[in-house]
Amino acid sequence: MPVVKLTVNGTRYEEEVPERLLLVDFLRERLALTGTHVGCTFEGVCGACTIHLDGEAVKSCLMLAVQADGHEITTIEGLAGDTLTPLQAAFREHHSLQCGFCTPGILMNMSDFLRENPDPSEDEIRRGLVGNLCRCTGYVHIVRAVKDAARRMRGEA
Amino acid sequence: MAATPQDMLGARLPRKEDLRLVTGTGKYLADILLPGMLHAVFVRSEYAHARIRGIDTSEALALHGVVAVYTGIDFKDTVKPMPQPVVQPNLPARYPTFWPLAIDKVKHHGEPVALVIARDKYVAVDAAELVVVDYEELTPVLDPERALEDGSPLVHEEDGSNEIFAMTLTGGLTEEEQQRNADAVERIFQGADIVVKERFRVHRTGITPMEPRGVLCDWNDADGLTAWITTQRPHIDRLALIDLLDIPGEQVRVIAPRDQGGGFGVKAPFYRENLAIAYAARALKRPVRWIESRYESLMNVGQERDQVNYLEVAARKDGKLLALRNRGVADNGVGTTGVYWGFVMPFLGAVEMPNAYTWEAGDVRLRVATTNKASLTPSRAFGHFPTRFAIERAVDMVARRVGMEPSALRRMNLVPSLPYTSVTNEYYDSGDFLRVWDNLMAQVDLPAFRAEQAAARAAGRYLGIGFGCGVELSGVASELLVPMENQPGYGAATVRLDPRGKVLVFGGDAPGGQGHETTTAQVVASLFGIQASDVVVTTGDTGTTPFGSGSIGARAGSYFVSAVAEACGELKDKITRILAHDLQIEASVQHFEFKNGEVVYLGDRSKRKSFRDAVERIIMFPINMPEGEVGGLEYTAFFEAAKPMICFNADCCIVEVNVDTGDFEIRRWVTSEDVGTVINPNIVDGQMHGAIVQGLSNAMFEEFVYDERGQQMSADFEHYKLATAADVPDIEITYATTPCPHTPLGTRGIGEGRPSSVPGALTNAVCDALAPFGIEIAELPLRPNLVWRKLREARGEG
Repeated sequence: MPVVKLTVNGTRYEEEVPERLLLVDFLRERLALTGTHVGCTFEGVCGACTIHLDGEAVKSCLMLAVQADGHEITTIEGLAGDTLTPLQAAFREHHSLQCGFCTPGILMNMSDFLRENPDPSEDEIRRGLVGNLCRCTGYVHIVRAVKDAARRMRGEA
Repeated sequence: MAATPQDMLGARLPRKEDLRLVTGTGKYLADILLPGMLHAVFVRSEYAHARIRGIDTSEALALHGVVAVYTGIDFKDTVKPMPQPVVQPNLPARYPTFWPLAIDKVKHHGEPVALVIARDKYVAVDAAELVVVDYEELTPVLDPERALEDGSPLVHEEDGSNEIFAMTLTGGLTEEEQQRNADAVERIFQGADIVVKERFRVHRTGITPMEPRGVLCDWNDADGLTAWITTQRPHIDRLALIDLLDIPGEQVRVIAPRDQGGGFGVKAPFYRENLAIAYAARALKRPVRWIESRYESLMNVGQERDQVNYLEVAARKDGKLLALRNRGVADNGVGTTGVYWGFVMPFLGAVEMPNAYTWEAGDVRLRVATTNKASLTPSRAFGHFPTRFAIERAVDMVARRVGMEPSALRRMNLVPSLPYTSVTNEYYDSGDFLRVWDNLMAQVDLPAFRAEQAAARAAGRYLGIGFGCGVELSGVASELLVPMENQPGYGAATVRLDPRGKVLVFGGDAPGGQGHETTTAQVVASLFGIQASDVVVTTGDTGTTPFGSGSIGARAGSYFVSAVAEACGELKDKITRILAHDLQIEASVQHFEFKNGEVVYLGDRSKRKSFRDAVERIIMFPINMPEGEVGGLEYTAFFEAAKPMICFNADCCIVEVNVDTGDFEIRRWVTSEDVGTVINPNIVDGQMHGAIVQGLSNAMFEEFVYDERGQQMSADFEHYKLATAADVPDIEITYATTPCPHTPLGTRGIGEGRPSSVPGALTNAVCDALAPFGIEIAELPLRPNLVWRKLREARGEG
């Protein structure tokens, strides 16, 4: 079995994995990082499994664990430090989640999005979210939280 | 600054659930791992209708890591078939008999045929591919109207008919009364100025939660079965497992995980897969887990609506609605789903057809046809998405015929005062429809819009405005739930005080994202004068919670929190009885205030005790008690309203239609809601946003497609399209609330029925935009291709 060496949430791992093991299963079942969710049959549409690979949002159901060899991964469990990020805090404040199943993927996607788009319009936020399905919220409060987090991250009141 | 306890009712409190959910530390079913856990995969039918000539499991069994492979015959003598009373409504119907896996015949694409259990889930998938099923394909039954004709092939041959259910609603209780009422309806039609008659068709769609289903069963001979199930109804599932597997009741515990990724009705039925996994865990004496794939989910559940309604409306030329007559035909699918059997949804949809309007009479009939498709499963707006679409569209058609503004015609026909009993015998307990309507109209400057619309039309742009409204159930009273689902409607809650002054609440329903932990905590905090953070809520574990029929039909805001409030009231009584005794005063609960963590005697505010001390004294130091009192502070309350209760809402939508392409854009969506007393406005707003977008997504995008052989063509999210953030507008929610007089806090249960007025409002707006072309749309999904086709027909190009 191949061996992968990778860093997940700051911890280095060296693990034997079957070639066909999906990265999302590796994270969830081998490392018990169950905050990364599976919401579709690996067609990559729902976005619940979104993580950061070398800082960039990717869907972990569309990758094999062996493809992550040598890379650095952040999952939802590694997003916050001692306190919530402004985006996580804004999601709480604006009631941007209900069942929470899609939320980790949306937070991972949007935190990457906000790095590249520090001052997005509502339209840009909505287009930035198309890779994540949410069934509960109708997206209204999600859009509001992303906008508010962007403002806070820019240092505006 | 935290809100003071007295502000708790109505506070925009951030949810207690969210800290774990935004940090990835929630615990959903798929996150639970037990040592030695085995993985289950179902082999599912490739055909819509076929005889099973044989199943060869030998290759699968030979694969290294495979523990067991079951086929239908393994269950035939070891598991009771459905129906059994616990999962069967008190409605007369042709209930099909079925076991966990298909036996002899498969009846829809995706039906479970075999169950593979392996040590590794990848191996289980490999083994499932190795199970060889020899099928003889049969002619599938796919069109519900043709399914009801003589000579149609039969889905369930032993039934002798594909008509699973039929009924007549005219307000009469006997056949003679019904005929008399139907005759009266006919006379109204003969004398009416206006009759609108149309065939309304709503496609197969529903609500697909982001977390698919799952079951994890653990068995040991001492304790029996522990089943973690993605479910809205753990207590019902427990009873079903007891009865169907013949396990003594003390040996079954069902736990709905605290975090569930949405339910929306899809997790309310009792499913055959639950039974198969429980059976396997008992047989193997090992934990067995099944996590549904999205493919399986879209093949099998979340399919609803799917109905044709031949609706006639009689009206006067001044716009007064007189009578409605409807002949509905619903496509039930195969019907092998416990509790609902498919037809329970269209049943309620027919009952709810008259909506919020005063009719002199109605004649509403329904026939439900079994077909070789997945069974209808409950989906938010339970049953009445198609009937509501039909009635809301028909009302606009009447308005156009009599030359009235549809909004004015609606207002004229809204039930002016409540209570009211509809022509289908549905009871509307309370509220003020006109106030809700007037509040909606205050958000929209209709004359200004008409002026803008006229100017735009002159410039070749087509704007439209559409309205809709809906009476929705606020919880389901026993009076309705016993006949409909053979279950009680009461809400039940245990409130347990802790010696440190904390409060533990236990509820038997199992939420999936509605924020019960937070709203319950707000209710308790407001009643005890403490902080919401001092309240812990446990739901969904049959081992610790009182019996509840489940998180269904907007029961939380109506029945559950009412039970919580009543339990808190009983405990406050006891606390103040004992406190009065300790203070040596003659006083009872109304002479005390629970505020800011203290219990204060209003006759002399210096006589007070901290809530914590008052509670600790009763639980831990029960000496020197008043005569007849014992220590301890815990109470279980059961709340049942005397009559069914409702909530009410209204929608307005503004669109712009491109008459060259058929594309349309929603420019504004604004609502007016009567939700009773609001516990947490954030949560209520969120419920409405989500429900409306679900309604839009159902109306515009989602569609389960079966081909001419009954093959399900839309079993992934590429083909079953849900609305994304870029597909839907911002939504403005406004309120015109009337506290419910039948609940202790004035709250109403909200959110369940909310999507139903959406497709009507949307289509009304599009048709209003296209009024110069005389286009009336009577079918869903509403997509640009349909609008474009209608435009071509109207221009004589079709």
